[in-house]
Amino acid sequence: MKEMKLFLGPQHPGMHGNASVHMFVDGDIIKRSYLLPGMLYRGFEKQMERKLWVNNIALIPRVCVPEPDINEMAFASGAEKLLKLEIPERAHWIRMIILEFARISAHLMAYGGLGGPTGNYTLMYHAHADRNNILDIFEKITGARVYHQYIVIGGVRQDLPKGIEKDMHTFLDSLESRLKEYRDLGIDNASIIKRIKDTIMLPAEVVWELGVTGIGMRSAVNKAYDIRKVAPYARYDQVEFEVPVSDYSDARSRLDIKIKEVQQSINIIRQCLEKMPEGPVRVKPARGQSMRWTVPKGHVYSMVESSRGEFGYYMVSNGGTHPYRVGVRGASYPQGLLGIEKYLPGTRIDDAALWVDTMGICSPEIDR
Amino acid sequence: MNSMNNIERVKEIVEKVAKVRKFEQIDKFQIAFEIEKNDVHQTLSALKLAGWKQLSYLSAIDWIETSKFELVYVLFNWDEALYIQIRAMIEREAAEMNSIISIFPGAKYYEREAHEFFGINFPGNPDYHKQLILENWDDIPPLRKDFDPSVYSDRKFPKREYSVDYSVKDPENKSFEKIKEREKRALSLRTGGQKK
Repeated sequence: MKEMKLFLGPQHPGMHGNASVHMFVDGDIIKRSYLLPGMLYRGFEKQMERKLWVNNIALIPRVCVPEPDINEMAFASGAEKLLKLEIPERAHWIRMIILEFARISAHLMAYGGLGGPTGNYTLMYHAHADRNNILDIFEKITGARVYHQYIVIGGVRQDLPKGIEKDMHTFLDSLESRLKEYRDLGIDNASIIKRIKDTIMLPAEVVWELGVTGIGMRSAVNKAYDIRKVAPYARYDQVEFEVPVSDYSDARSRLDIKIKEVQQSINIIRQCLEKMPEGPVRVKPARGQSMRWTVPKGHVYSMVESSRGEFGYYMVSNGGTHPYRVGVRGASYPQGLLGIEKYLPGTRIDDAALWVDTMGICSPEIDR
Repeated sequence: MNSMNNIERVKEIVEKVAKVRKFEQIDKFQIAFEIEKNDVHQTLSALKLAGWKQLSYLSAIDWIETSKFELVYVLFNWDEALYIQIRAMIEREAAEMNSIISIFPGAKYYEREAHEFFGINFPGNPDYHKQLILENWDDIPPLRKDFDPSVYSDRKFPKREYSVDYSVKDPENKSFEKIKEREKRALSLRTGGQKK
């Protein structure tokens, strides 16, 4: 049969964000493919060099749209490392609460994304309804639903509002009681189990070759390779949680780990609410005129465990009021570009959207 | 977890294959080496054999004052929990660095991106010259320090002409002084001006 060219995206329910997968197919098997990024390129790395350290806080959440808070955390903790700044104890715990809520919301969105390519839309609606509750909590804490600009250099912008703990507990209890429902609708659902079981494999050799991190890596190599455990930031060394792993990475086991991680995040937030001390939440980063303070010279790579893997900012300061260079390492860079080129071929056309979804690819962070 | 011994071990490995110009410990989980350009490949393969199997990041920094590019390779070892930055300077004119995809295949797209945004050539990488993110780019690579985005956009997108002019031009107007002052202030902030 003659080879034919098809496109997945830039607008497609299985594509998170605008990027296009070019596929050359023979029958319904993909023979060659590559990702065409660039539809979301906004020139952030250049813009960051032209803005003050503080002003960048407004820019960076846009780097990854479904999970903006990890950007704020990576940027703020990197700048704090350069400034050798100790932030107040309470701010660490508030940051952890925000980051774990962000992780749950990103996992729910990705797990609900399974509904698009498999035609199981109920799951998607349920997941988005629960995500909406998280956005409500974010709105009460930060004043914004998606881009919070809440984690800033020197702590967090303001303290938690009064009575928010009750809202959090109510939400966590309801989500925890519904996790079984999520399993039944998604990974244990007899109508889609054939699509996700033993398909879209990710062997351990491929993980090491591409440099895949996060759930993709943990589901293949059977080790707790999570930055929160390996090189803990904030106060992750003071809470108890498990890192779910497996030694057989198909689409189902990766989704299974996602649901297990939601449970772990719920546990972490409960511990944070219990152990969180009282006190100030923000310190002034440096001396100087209100926002035009400077950051000492240096290079730092600051990393955070996002819902898709290791997310890092490479930051360089030349001692000025503006960053000299900020480079973003998107967690989906390896599997999104080289992975699609080398390992998407061989799958069927209708599984391509599932491949992109379960590998955890977020196009805004590939483009920046 | 990592200890001082571990860092000493890495130092030994790197010093055996490369001339270290500068060593730096950034925090508990991160160290940095500045080495010569020609030693990069040996260092990376020695570290890969020692367990630093993951290339986390590869990019460049433009030091326009000294006319150099600084290449950065960030490696990570999940068992030892230690990040290593390997940094090397290359010339800015006709910048070139041999590709590392034979050591870390995952570097392929990082190098393509560095080529697109800095204009560094990576011989050995089969596709480094292909366009990736920027479509039909017709200027110097945009992350170089001498590239000015506002000049580019003025050239590329002509100023729009408006039929009605709403700006206050009459010096007799009450708010004229105020508006001029605000414009001046906005301009000085935009160009990164200092406090008066």
